[in-house]
Amino acid sequence: MVNRKEKKSCGQVVEEWKEFVWNPRTHQFMGRTGSSWAFILLFYFVFYGFLTAMFTLTMWVLLQTVSDHTPKYQDRLATPGLMIRPKTENLDVIVNVSDTESWDQHVQKLNKFLEAYNDSIQAQKNDVCRPGRYYEQPDNGVLNYPKRACQFNRTQLGDCSGLGDPTHYGYSTGQPCVFIKMNRVINFYAGANQSMNVTCAGKRDEDAENLGGFVMFPANGHIDLMYFPYYGKQFHVNYTQPLVAVKFLNVTPNVEVNVECRINAANIATDDERDKFAGRVAFKLRINKT
Amino acid sequence: MKDIQNSGKEDGQEKSSRGRKDTCWNRKKNRQKQEIKEEPDLDDHKLSSEDLEKKYGTNIVAGLSSARAAELLVRDGPNALSPPKETPEIIKFLKQMVGGFSILLWFGAILCWIAYGIQYSHDPSSSLDNVYLGAVLAVVVILTGMFAYYQEAKSTNIMAGFSKMIPRQALVIRDAEKKTIPAEQLVVGDIVEIKGGDQIPADLRLLSSQGCKVDNSSLTGESEPQGRSCECTHDNPLETKNIGFYSTTCLEGTATGMVINTGDRTVIGQIASLASGVGNEKTPIAIEIEHFVHIVAGVAVSLGITFFIIAVSMKYPVLDSIIFLIGIIVANVPEGLLATVTVALSLTAKRMAKKNCLVKNLEAVETLGSTSIICSDKTGTLTQNRMTVAHLWFDNRIFVADTSEDHSNQMFDQSSGTWASLAKIITLCNRAEFKTGQESVPIMKKIVVGDASETALLKFSEVIVGDVMEIRKRNRKEMEAPINNTLYPACSILSLLQLSIHETDDPDDNRFLVVMKGAPERILEKCSTIMINGQEQPLDESSAEAFHTAYMELGGLGERVLGFCHLYLPAEEFPETYSFDTDAMNFPTSNLCFVGLLSLIDPPRSTVPDAVAKCRSAGIKVIMVTGDHPITAKAIARSVGIISANSETAEDIAKRLNIAVEQVNKRDAKAAVVTGMELKDMSSEQLDEILANHSEIVFARTSPQQKLIIVEGCQRQDAVVAVTGDGVNDSPALKKADIGIAMGIAGSDAAKNAADMVLLDDNFASIVTGVEEGRLIFDNLKKTIAYTLTKNIAELCPFLIYIVLGLPLPIGTITILFIDLGTDIIPSVALAYEKAESDIMNQKPRHKKEDRLVNRPLAIYSYLHIGLMQSLGAFVVYFTVYAQEGFRPGFLIGLRVDWEKDMNDLEDSYGQEWTRYQRQYQEWTGYTAFFVAIMVQQIADLIIRKTRRNSIFQQGLFRNKVIWVGIASQIIIALILSYGLGSVTALNLTMLRPQYWFVAVPFAALIWVYDEVRKFYIRRYPGGWWDMNMYY
Repeated sequence: MVNRKEKKSCGQVVEEWKEFVWNPRTHQFMGRTGSSWAFILLFYFVFYGFLTAMFTLTMWVLLQTVSDHTPKYQDRLATPGLMIRPKTENLDVIVNVSDTESWDQHVQKLNKFLEAYNDSIQAQKNDVCRPGRYYEQPDNGVLNYPKRACQFNRTQLGDCSGLGDPTHYGYSTGQPCVFIKMNRVINFYAGANQSMNVTCAGKRDEDAENLGGFVMFPANGHIDLMYFPYYGKQFHVNYTQPLVAVKFLNVTPNVEVNVECRINAANIATDDERDKFAGRVAFKLRINKT
Repeated sequence: MKDIQNSGKEDGQEKSSRGRKDTCWNRKKNRQKQEIKEEPDLDDHKLSSEDLEKKYGTNIVAGLSSARAAELLVRDGPNALSPPKETPEIIKFLKQMVGGFSILLWFGAILCWIAYGIQYSHDPSSSLDNVYLGAVLAVVVILTGMFAYYQEAKSTNIMAGFSKMIPRQALVIRDAEKKTIPAEQLVVGDIVEIKGGDQIPADLRLLSSQGCKVDNSSLTGESEPQGRSCECTHDNPLETKNIGFYSTTCLEGTATGMVINTGDRTVIGQIASLASGVGNEKTPIAIEIEHFVHIVAGVAVSLGITFFIIAVSMKYPVLDSIIFLIGIIVANVPEGLLATVTVALSLTAKRMAKKNCLVKNLEAVETLGSTSIICSDKTGTLTQNRMTVAHLWFDNRIFVADTSEDHSNQMFDQSSGTWASLAKIITLCNRAEFKTGQESVPIMKKIVVGDASETALLKFSEVIVGDVMEIRKRNRKEMEAPINNTLYPACSILSLLQLSIHETDDPDDNRFLVVMKGAPERILEKCSTIMINGQEQPLDESSAEAFHTAYMELGGLGERVLGFCHLYLPAEEFPETYSFDTDAMNFPTSNLCFVGLLSLIDPPRSTVPDAVAKCRSAGIKVIMVTGDHPITAKAIARSVGIISANSETAEDIAKRLNIAVEQVNKRDAKAAVVTGMELKDMSSEQLDEILANHSEIVFARTSPQQKLIIVEGCQRQDAVVAVTGDGVNDSPALKKADIGIAMGIAGSDAAKNAADMVLLDDNFASIVTGVEEGRLIFDNLKKTIAYTLTKNIAELCPFLIYIVLGLPLPIGTITILFIDLGTDIIPSVALAYEKAESDIMNQKPRHKKEDRLVNRPLAIYSYLHIGLMQSLGAFVVYFTVYAQEGFRPGFLIGLRVDWEKDMNDLEDSYGQEWTRYQRQYQEWTGYTAFFVAIMVQQIADLIIRKTRRNSIFQQGLFRNKVIWVGIASQIIIALILSYGLGSVTALNLTMLRPQYWFVAVPFAALIWVYDEVRKFYIRRYPGGWWDMNMYY
């Protein structure tokens, strides 16, 4: 059979293609006549129109099942994660003291990040709440909207507030501030009515040595219950999450230091094997001094 | 086998090769494919013994010297058939590893490793996911390859049958001494002695012969013994009587011959190399699967490359683009399909084996279904391969004998006195005997010592008259003599008259009875009277006329006619003590009394006519190709319906209209009988014309080479050709055919080895079953493939959407493999159990170039209709899972970059923040949801694929129980994967909320309803728009 296969010359192939694209005898374009094309296109137009409608309908039904304000399920967010600011790639805070540019971007980011915490803005938008207890705003049958948020003033961050600070959060002096924040989770009563705080430490022994001393703002890395629960960005429009600033005072220069901060709260587990950021955050700190 | 010295092709190459006759040895050593089809080229039969001695440098009396023989042995090699070149097993194995989709998957696996390499060079601690994925893909390829290799390894080797025929020892004269040497050591020029029972050890030119008869059936397929003598009786070496062929059997007598060809150069050796030289054609289903692989691979590669380019131009990193490419390939390739097809085919093969069709080559299962021409050998396939008495003529009347397999009801009138005399002659004038110790065996199955005609007569008389051996004992044989006919050359069975003289069993009658049988016209010559109604009457003009009419009529039926006569010797002249002498011929051999005629035929098997009719209604053309005489062939063809009752050949028309054959318009003749001689002079165009214009064709007197040419001619008509046969002579054609079918009982080993299928019960009717099964499996494979292809779109769309819209990846590569190799496998096999939708045996066979396994409507309908619906359904589930966890559909678009970043406070639609791992888990939940959605919709897909035209409710939802096993398996596997193994991170699956299993159900229902609508319109408007565009 092999020898029966006629080898087509290039010209024939081109010719066949031409005829396929436009056959002048049968007036067929790509194997179909004009009316045939019209009909098939009409069919697909209707068919796909119908499918689109069907898809839209089911999506609409789906959207009916979810509320605008709170997600239907939150099982994945049982343990909120921790995160640091400045946000850097691979979570390493590298500061070349002499090289302004190396930390200037961190400073810019922090400035922007902390803007919302300015006392003036906080005073203007948020309430002064009673510390030590949850600031609950139940709907009680009527939508209680928008919900109020509690003030977290930038000044609470003390030396790390960056206000009137010539050291730029300590970056220019090699004593950088790193801000720890806990991920927002709607209706999460962090701490289960007991006070909670953030602690930091070197990951290994040598890290602890290299890390040196640090101070935390608010003191002891305390996070107050009044910032919880969070009601979602629709309701809790001006919510500013509580922060803990850590100022590292005398990190051994020119060494990479692994720092781990975790939250001590009754209802937040910090030992999830798989999720390295559940209730804790690990980052690298390196101060380069010449 | 007449005049087939040279090939039928009159081209230039042919002529030039004829000119080089003398150098044929050299030529044959390196013959090309074209030359293989030539006929054996010999002229030794025409040479005198002196010339032969000169030619081969030997001495007829003393034989070769041992030294010379050793020299020749070195030159020519041993007298054995050379085994075919075998592909090493490892090559076969590796071929399986790179065939089909394997290349694509290897490519995917290598891309995975490259991707890891790139990752590693950036970040040595990067995850090994891609390495694992690559390994999984490689394992999939290797396992599929091993599976296919195992299937292929089962098929057997063709040469084995030929080597079994090699005779072991030969009695040779060397150095003027008789020696027994292994037959492999024979060389040309050796003088060999053979005797009854021997296999002929090489091609021999006979130098002397004493009553030698050979059975050439292994060569020609005809089991009629042929006499051998030392005269050249025919120009054609295959027809002449003075050549004995390698591997044929000497039945009786002795002969001396000179070896003229050994090993592969013998006639049988040439046929053997012809069979192994014929390339294995790709089976139609292999071509279809290749076609389908090309389509899918084409889609995969072009989509892959398109989206690779899109991804790169969308500023995706190259690494990401490579991973997209892998995903697209894996999604596109139905990894489990080829294994599924193999399983489906082997299921059918098993089913056929139960019905006595043993399939050696799995793919051949389908070939029979697409067969459009069956070239059937006559002897042993269509007929019983047993001479049987078909008609009797006595008292001026023709009687029909029962020729069915058991001779059960002989209906003719047995009261006439003529019959009594005839029966006596039949019983007595017969040398055949039953082998002893077969008392319990039915008569027709008893083994007989004797030639075919005598066997037929013996069994015939045993059935009608009773214990033949007893009758013979009572009519003791005084003398027996073959009477040679001086007019004809010796050895011809038909010209031989057989005479014996017996005492009679009547104690009062002491006359001797002379009984004689032989060729009717010769018997008549010896007679002066004829017996009518038990009375002897003078043989006058009118009774001679009646005899000739009957003789012509029976001969015209293709039957071999024998005449019978007897004579009671007067007791006065021949007293009891009279001593008869064969040599002196001291008894009368003329003026006998003519009693009657018997005609013998190898009758058709009783199941054949029905099977032929069924083939015909299934649109299959049945062609008879036989080595037998045209008249016999035509008669059998008529009786089995290969030439139907009302159709005529050109010759018939000529006879009816009383005009010359040339004047007949060839188009008027539906039937044609073509002999090998005519075929020889035909160009391939003329052969094509015959094959195209006649619906009922018989080829008679064909050689193995011509059988090959006929098969090729049929294949040129784009037909799928099945060849049935049993002899060695059929084996090249069996091999060449798209499907070779050998007879299991009567078939020679060579034929069985060359064949793709063996009919264990030798029943031609089993072919019909095979055709039905083959057609069914083709339809069902279509369904399987349509089912499997559909979900490819649902697997592919996620990647495309992921690239273009930047959603978090809806389904992972590993998850796709879980569908392709997990949930989908059993359901797609289950479709192989589906019953036929309509009467498939009343449809034409599929056209091998037009009715493809995977055609455009199938691809479009699977991909763009059902596949798209599945994708939409799966996406709805995906969006549901994300939306209910906090990522609303609109929010997802473009989220991909941040989603995949190592960012641990990604905000969702509600302002909540997610860590990387939390998102990862969510992504796996998405995979699981997408997986479950596809699975749920594949259930609907499976149900709709049960039929292509009929409504599911016509087909019966519950008739095929295996489908439900398939559905159950899908659900159970999915449940296990989600709930049982959901906690194994490597699988990327999670425990899914129960309600998500039902989200895609509306789409599943839509698929079912839509398909019912499609089928409704196809049934309602056959040939209409839906039928044209939507029927696959």
